[in-house]
Amino acid sequence: MRKLILLLFAIMPAIAFGQGFQVNLHGQKQIGMGHTGTGLLQDGASVLFNPGALAMLPQNYVQAGMSPLLFKSDFNPSGTTDQFRTKNKIATPFTAYGVWGPKDARWKIGLGVYTPYGGLTDWGQDWAGKYSLESLNLKAIYFQPTLSYRVTDFLSLGAGFVYNHGTVDLTRAIPVSNSSGQDGQAELKGNGHGFGWNAGAFFKTNVGLTIGLDYRSQVNTTVKNGDAIFKVPSSLQSSFPQPNTFTTTLPLPSTSSIGLGYKPSNKWTLAVDVNFTKWDVYKTLGFDYAKNTPTLQDTYSPRNYKNGWSYRAGAEYKATDKIFVRGGGGYVTTAVNDGYVTPEAPDANRYYLTAGLGYKVTKNLDLDVSFEYEHLDARTQTNIESQLSGTFKTNVYIPGLSLAYHW
Amino acid sequence: MKTYRSYLHIFLVTGLLGFGACKTSINTPAPSRGTADFSRYISVGNSLTAGYADGGLYLEGQLNSYPSIIAAQMQKVGGGTFTQPLFSTDQADGSGHLILTGFNADGTPKTQQVAATAVRDQITIPGFGNVVLFAKYTGDINNYGVPGIKLQQITYAPYGNLNGYFERLLPGNSPTNTTTYLDFVTAKPYTFFTDWLGNNDALLYATSGGAGDVLTDKAQFSQLYNYSIGQLTKSGQKGAVATIPDVTAVPYFNTVTVGAILAAVQKANPAAKALVINALNADGSHSPRVATAADLIVLTFPTSMIGQPVNTPVGPLPYGLTPYTPIDDKYVLDQGEVAMTQDYVNSYNATIKAAASAKGLAVFDAYAFLNNVKANGLVVDGVNLSSAYISGGIFSLDGVHLTPRGYAVVANEFIKAINKQYNASIPLANVSSYRGVKFP
Repeated sequence: MRKLILLLFAIMPAIAFGQGFQVNLHGQKQIGMGHTGTGLLQDGASVLFNPGALAMLPQNYVQAGMSPLLFKSDFNPSGTTDQFRTKNKIATPFTAYGVWGPKDARWKIGLGVYTPYGGLTDWGQDWAGKYSLESLNLKAIYFQPTLSYRVTDFLSLGAGFVYNHGTVDLTRAIPVSNSSGQDGQAELKGNGHGFGWNAGAFFKTNVGLTIGLDYRSQVNTTVKNGDAIFKVPSSLQSSFPQPNTFTTTLPLPSTSSIGLGYKPSNKWTLAVDVNFTKWDVYKTLGFDYAKNTPTLQDTYSPRNYKNGWSYRAGAEYKATDKIFVRGGGGYVTTAVNDGYVTPEAPDANRYYLTAGLGYKVTKNLDLDVSFEYEHLDARTQTNIESQLSGTFKTNVYIPGLSLAYHW
Repeated sequence: MKTYRSYLHIFLVTGLLGFGACKTSINTPAPSRGTADFSRYISVGNSLTAGYADGGLYLEGQLNSYPSIIAAQMQKVGGGTFTQPLFSTDQADGSGHLILTGFNADGTPKTQQVAATAVRDQITIPGFGNVVLFAKYTGDINNYGVPGIKLQQITYAPYGNLNGYFERLLPGNSPTNTTTYLDFVTAKPYTFFTDWLGNNDALLYATSGGAGDVLTDKAQFSQLYNYSIGQLTKSGQKGAVATIPDVTAVPYFNTVTVGAILAAVQKANPAAKALVINALNADGSHSPRVATAADLIVLTFPTSMIGQPVNTPVGPLPYGLTPYTPIDDKYVLDQGEVAMTQDYVNSYNATIKAAASAKGLAVFDAYAFLNNVKANGLVVDGVNLSSAYISGGIFSLDGVHLTPRGYAVVANEFIKAINKQYNASIPLANVSSYRGVKFP
């Protein structure tokens, strides 16, 4: 008669992808220049930066690049000297663009495949926040066919359709010890898809100034019937029925950008971009399990994100006919309100610095490399849901390389 | 082309160096011992201090005792080594203890007793009874926790013959010991102490349903507590004390409830209206009355007894359901007994706080802390902890003592109190690295 009521063991998977999950690695030339490009005509990456600019591109492009990313976070629980660090795992954002149109035609078509959102965070199984998160691998791959039309010599417009294929793999510890004292574990693993669109406009002025406007819509990505795997002591397995599935929807937010490009001389190109990401659509995160028990309930966690801004600037210097040197930087405001910071992407205001180098291997082939350093401010927080209390600090290191063939 | 190559080379090397070698670090201020000196820390107390858990003292519990967790953190601010009177690994099950073996269909847990492995002998002390003796421990001791000890007994010279856990630490064998507990713990110099004595002065009365033990007199408690604090601080030592939890804050009294038993009885026998207990009257006598939610049933009550026929002068009647066959007093801490225990605990705690205040000692108010956990729960590092039996994560299978996770929470509360009192900054322990109840 020892009445036992197993409490909710706080099975609240928390995919909290802040600005930290917005991956802005969309082209080596643009990375080198501090992620500017909305108001420039650089190469095929305009498919993403501004579909309106495609029709202005002087050539056709096929290009691909990769930016291996190392996300290094540190957590210091409040009142301790402990430091818990994420493991060295390398995420691999990539880009591939194709742009084609008949010579001297007013139109061009394009296709982009790129990874605008994602995250790879692995804190391991022995850190203070293991009941919030052990590891998360989240990827969104966008496929974007695009059409652009040059209305006049100084204005072109373009629009694209977006199909997103997303995958998520999240693990966290469950606070039930087995007979050897080890925690249980929840793993949520699945893939889903979503749709969206984008549009842009590009203006040329006669004083060397170019202006770009770009809008990329929200893409609601629904993961349906993903695997919900619970490893718990056998005496508790009936509370965590197996096999089980989950369904969730992640609203990947819309972004609006304005960019300016300016060529003060034929050696220099300068650019600034301002980018607005409408994170406030991310109000709650819900997980709907196919099989519920008194212990395993559907969960709804408040997120209450706020909109984020990023301010970007960059420059390119044409050192010789074949060599381009680039540099840039930016500042990004956090999307995550105080009290909502979680270890998935311990978001904070951040700045970044970039450098790049371009080399014309042949008349038709560009080799570009880039390097980016991102620093997220230390942020001391107590999460309102988990009460995980401490300071997060993150640095991100991103080298990158791309090849572009144009004709 | 040459220029390009050297550019690229410099670029990539710089990039990759930064990439691999940089370690993100957060600067934390160097922890400080403040005005206290932790070079030799001793812990004074009862079963909670010893690391008792799951109804026994065994190696894993000892290794996760709150004093050992505090001491490990103190070592980050110059604290000395901390030695516990551990059972050997061959005798890891110590006095024996409970383990969880599964759940019945109705969700109630099944436990099993693991046999003792550290019993040396058993002797009979005339006028007292049987005393189980454990394998002797020899060596340095910092953790003086002795399961079962009351404050009332710390100056009682023969006590080392009556408590096998204390006898185990003494050089002599029962029944020849004459060292008092207080003299024993203060024999070797120390610089800092924690003192969590006094629980058993109320708890043993309560866990026996108010039938098998008595509450320590308030005046005697006050006299002994002040005397012991005087002795512990005789050479100017600093320390921390803890108050005594409200007995009703532990799952031992909150898991098997009158309502739950009655509901189960009524399933089989809808005519049953109420449980009957043998309750304390104002004049100290006991008489049968109907049980209410304010009467607390002990965790160990064999509920299968309810309704079993009992022979009475008026014929066989069902146990626990009639005034002729009330539930035995030892299974129930009835409302009057609860009130009396609470009155004593409040008095003890007033003594403890006054004594600490007079000597400038840190106070961990376990009474307030555990009542708050009972009322509101506690969320630490993403874990919902509560006072619930088994699922709460804090209390071990005996419903009174703590799990390693519970002891880690207690250790952190002590550390916070010490830091505050002595302007120190001993780092907190990582609660999530300690386990709750083990499930099969």
